[in-house]
Amino acid sequence: MKKMVGVKCEECGRISYPERTFCISCGSNRLKRVELGDECELVTYTELYAIPVGIDQLPLVLGIVRFKNGARATGQITTREVKVGMKLRPVWGALRTIRGEKVYGFKFEPIK
Amino acid sequence: MREVAIIGCGMTKFGRRGDRSLIDLMVEASVKAIEHAGIDKKRIDALYAASMLCGELTHQTAIASALADELGILPAAAERLENGPASGGSAVKNAFLAVASGLYDFVLVTGGEKMRHVAGDVITDLLATMSHPTAEYIHGVTLPSLAAMFARLYMKKYGVTRKHLALVAVKNHANALKNPYAHIHRPLTIEGIYSAPEAEVNNPVVADPLRLFDFCPVTDGAASVLLCPAEKAREFCDTIVVISGIGHATDTLAVHEREDPTILKAVRLSAEMAFKMAKTSPKDIDVVELHDAFTILEIAESEDAGFFEKGTGHKALEEGVTALDGDLPINPSGGLKARGHPVGATGVAQLVELTWQLRGEAGKRQVEGAEQAFSCNLGGFGNNVVSFVLKRVR
Repeated sequence: MKKMVGVKCEECGRISYPERTFCISCGSNRLKRVELGDECELVTYTELYAIPVGIDQLPLVLGIVRFKNGARATGQITTREVKVGMKLRPVWGALRTIRGEKVYGFKFEPIK
Repeated sequence: MREVAIIGCGMTKFGRRGDRSLIDLMVEASVKAIEHAGIDKKRIDALYAASMLCGELTHQTAIASALADELGILPAAAERLENGPASGGSAVKNAFLAVASGLYDFVLVTGGEKMRHVAGDVITDLLATMSHPTAEYIHGVTLPSLAAMFARLYMKKYGVTRKHLALVAVKNHANALKNPYAHIHRPLTIEGIYSAPEAEVNNPVVADPLRLFDFCPVTDGAASVLLCPAEKAREFCDTIVVISGIGHATDTLAVHEREDPTILKAVRLSAEMAFKMAKTSPKDIDVVELHDAFTILEIAESEDAGFFEKGTGHKALEEGVTALDGDLPINPSGGLKARGHPVGATGVAQLVELTWQLRGEAGKRQVEGAEQAFSCNLGGFGNNVVSFVLKRVR
């Protein structure tokens, strides 16, 4: 199963997602890959009715989530039953079409 | 470094301009700025053209070359500057540097965008390409969706309500009624978009919690300013307006990487730099243009730029402080919300408005006696911000 992976800075401890070359906080290149985990919490969200070309869900539910290790990520939420603070887990799936090509990535589904 | 003045400005009517090409619009704004300054255009040394999406939307690239050619100012140096929605501010900043350094004396900056002929979902998608490609864009994130997620946090944390957001729209639409260049000439009432039963229909949800009238329109238009060393400005104008401060800062590309996403750090930093350079402070500013692409942004920027304590901008709004007849008028032009937001033109249009204000040429929306002005041109969702302080020199 695919896992969400970010980076942890060995200089300042900052965890960021997605993977990158230099730390977003201190600029260091001493970054170590870390798994973000299987559980996160919804920080904020929107139900988007003005969807961009390439998206076929209406409304599209988007949110920012926070993992236990402090990492944050943005993505689609698979339900319209949304509430700030709800527990979610990352799942791999089709996200949208970009120039005719299907694009895949992580989205977030509720943990029952 | 030489002091730099704005000696001329001009803009087209903003709106749906199916009658004009992008270059036509940019020529019109440029000619107005040249005529406003009363300068022989052959004296122009350089041109900075700002546009975010000319290639994608009008199928024309390298528009600075086309504009210099069309204006008949060859062989002036010419380049296009693209910096997302902060393209206009960035272009003026670079023109300022060119004049301040002594490289050029007379520099024209013209920002323009033509967008209305393209379908809404295509525009939304093209604008979304400025977001983080893998962390945001591929998920369907758009700028309105980022604004909505930001607004939800903001409203909860600071007690901002939907009514406050509606008040920004009502105020800026009212100001735009006094601006002949504004895209939207349509009065709004708080009842019509917020409290009356039909408000639900008039003002539908676009990106919950934000509604239709929380968003700026998609607009065609161009705006232009002409810069020269302040020491040469007297030849062209009696009232000299100088660019006394510039600040420019970046923030994380992905909004989720911000420790506190309700703080627009690049607005804070760029405003601090601009005030420091101008040797002034927010309390000495008389008139302000902020980047209200979304109503919530006017409130947030009014705080992060230093005019109000964090979390109190909506109260100042409610008390009328930021109204045209208040102590600190914000967006007398109507702002992006109602003047419109031809993306590459916006940063320039803000400075056009403020220059008119400082010269006493703003007509029915004139802020009497304005001496210092501030603008904030915000790129991305706050990841690239250019701020200016302008000052009237007697």
